[in-house]
Amino acid sequence: MTVQMFHVGEHIALSYRRRSVLIWTAMTALILSLAAATLMLGKLGLSPADFVDILSGEASTATEFVLQRVRGPRVLIAIMAGAAFGLSGALFQNVTRNPLGSPDVLGLAAGAGAGVAVASLVPWAIPAPIGALAGAGSAIGLVILSTGSGLSSTSKVIISGIAVAAIATAVTQFVVTATLRDEASRLAAYLVGSLNSRDMGQAGLIAVTLVLAFPVILWLAPRLQLMELGDELTTSLGGKATTTRTQAILVAVVLAAMAVAVAGPIAFVALMSPHAARMLTRTSGPNLVGSALTGAMLMVLADLAVQQIPLVEDLPVGIITAGFGGLFLGYLLLTEFRKGQS
Amino acid sequence: MTGLTATRLSVGYGADPVLSDLDFTVPEGRFTAVIGPNGCGKSTLVKSLSRVLTAEPSMVQLEGKPLQKLKPKLLAQRIALLPQHPVVPDGVTVAGLVARGRYPYHRPLKQWSADDPQAIAQALEDTGMTAFADFPIDELSGGQRQRAWLAMVLAQQTQYVLLDEPTSFLDISHQIEVLRLCRQITANGRTVLAVLHDLNQAARYADQLVVMHRGSIVAQGAPHDILTTELITDVFGMESMIGSDPWSGTPMVVPVTD
Repeated sequence: MTVQMFHVGEHIALSYRRRSVLIWTAMTALILSLAAATLMLGKLGLSPADFVDILSGEASTATEFVLQRVRGPRVLIAIMAGAAFGLSGALFQNVTRNPLGSPDVLGLAAGAGAGVAVASLVPWAIPAPIGALAGAGSAIGLVILSTGSGLSSTSKVIISGIAVAAIATAVTQFVVTATLRDEASRLAAYLVGSLNSRDMGQAGLIAVTLVLAFPVILWLAPRLQLMELGDELTTSLGGKATTTRTQAILVAVVLAAMAVAVAGPIAFVALMSPHAARMLTRTSGPNLVGSALTGAMLMVLADLAVQQIPLVEDLPVGIITAGFGGLFLGYLLLTEFRKGQS
Repeated sequence: MTGLTATRLSVGYGADPVLSDLDFTVPEGRFTAVIGPNGCGKSTLVKSLSRVLTAEPSMVQLEGKPLQKLKPKLLAQRIALLPQHPVVPDGVTVAGLVARGRYPYHRPLKQWSADDPQAIAQALEDTGMTAFADFPIDELSGGQRQRAWLAMVLAQQTQYVLLDEPTSFLDISHQIEVLRLCRQITANGRTVLAVLHDLNQAARYADQLVVMHRGSIVAQGAPHDILTTELITDVFGMESMIGSDPWSGTPMVVPVTD
């Protein structure tokens, strides 16, 4: 498992592992196949002939409708929101050095959800992304304040995360009961995380977020690798630990908030992705690419399941991820406790 | 002003400062051991001499320049610090760990410098870890693990190598290995400053001793010149005799008590 260098001219050299690149390629292929399956299966599914038509610009109105209004935005949002959740989880876990430090556990996703709910209450309609950002920011702020020691103590962070998530849920439930019935059921579906009736505008929002986050993450990545060695070594190696942590958390909050704004507070994708990615690529380091791909894969898979598997048909996608993610969280807690005991 | 110096260094809050008004110049090209009782400020001194603990700009300077004024990466090319409890990343190999010591020579989009392979190979060789390059850190023994950390710090290729209790938690043969390595590092002209607990090991392997007590330096010099029973009584509150090490002839402190 040796490290290779990717050189571009004299001034760019990025390190990678061959095994990781192979796995990334395989995952990308899998995501694309799952996406194709999402577009093709079921009543409204597109046929291979439709794809040829689309590429040659001769698609029928019905085909275009399915692609641009029904299945297309949905699958794009699943991929991109999944990637954003995965990145956010990887960033948090890295800078808090806490395997449970993800937007779900920290109450940040619930906070963003509450922010969107509150935003929908205001008559002059605050856009959902702004509500999500405000909610996520307040949630992480509360966690940092209430532990009294920032994000450095694993157990304190988890306990305040539970409290903050409970507060956020209370706010959300208040909003749901206070709104009219139609709006309330729409909101309720959104708040478990749903990809029903998404539009291209929302896909655009999450796409822009990812595009803007990419260079920042690329710039942060070498320092994130140092952060694993502890704050003292990071600083003595010239990596400015506190600054790096603040920058990474800012990026992670924006990514999670935007993912929640377009897909709802989908549970546990951010928590699971970095762990699953590490198991797959078996590398150290923040594993950002792997986490993003794993997040995308989990979301597309969960979304395909709620569209096509009879028993779970038409459930919001967040219920599927909550089911699997809950089990995974239990498993993580067990291994952490064992580690703590040994 | 040359070298790495502390001038009227005070650290800590309120009435009970950890370090008070301390003056110190790190002896160049030597292996210096900082000794003293628990809580005397040894670690604080070593951390203040890197940027891990920030002191007032006037207090710690490298060649007359406050550490804060130097760019973090440039400073990291001059001064390395191995903390007492570094965090071992999951699944990292020895070579991967040592490579992280090269960070000060990289830029965000250029994670490689022409000297990397040579620096990493040399650091692995100096610490006797070449054969373990591809081993995951978690599979190593305590002594091997400490050598891997030392290799990482050596790969940083700094003039000053600061070590906070590098021998604690190691068994005696590994302690000796680390001390011999410290001496070997200075043979190449580098400077080592290490916090040590064992007086006799310090006296045997270090060129210079810095004896600290209650946040001040109370004695500094070659072990032969400064280790006296009075000093041991003053600093450690313990009656002792000072003999000579049967192998090396260096001073050896023996407690006089039942």
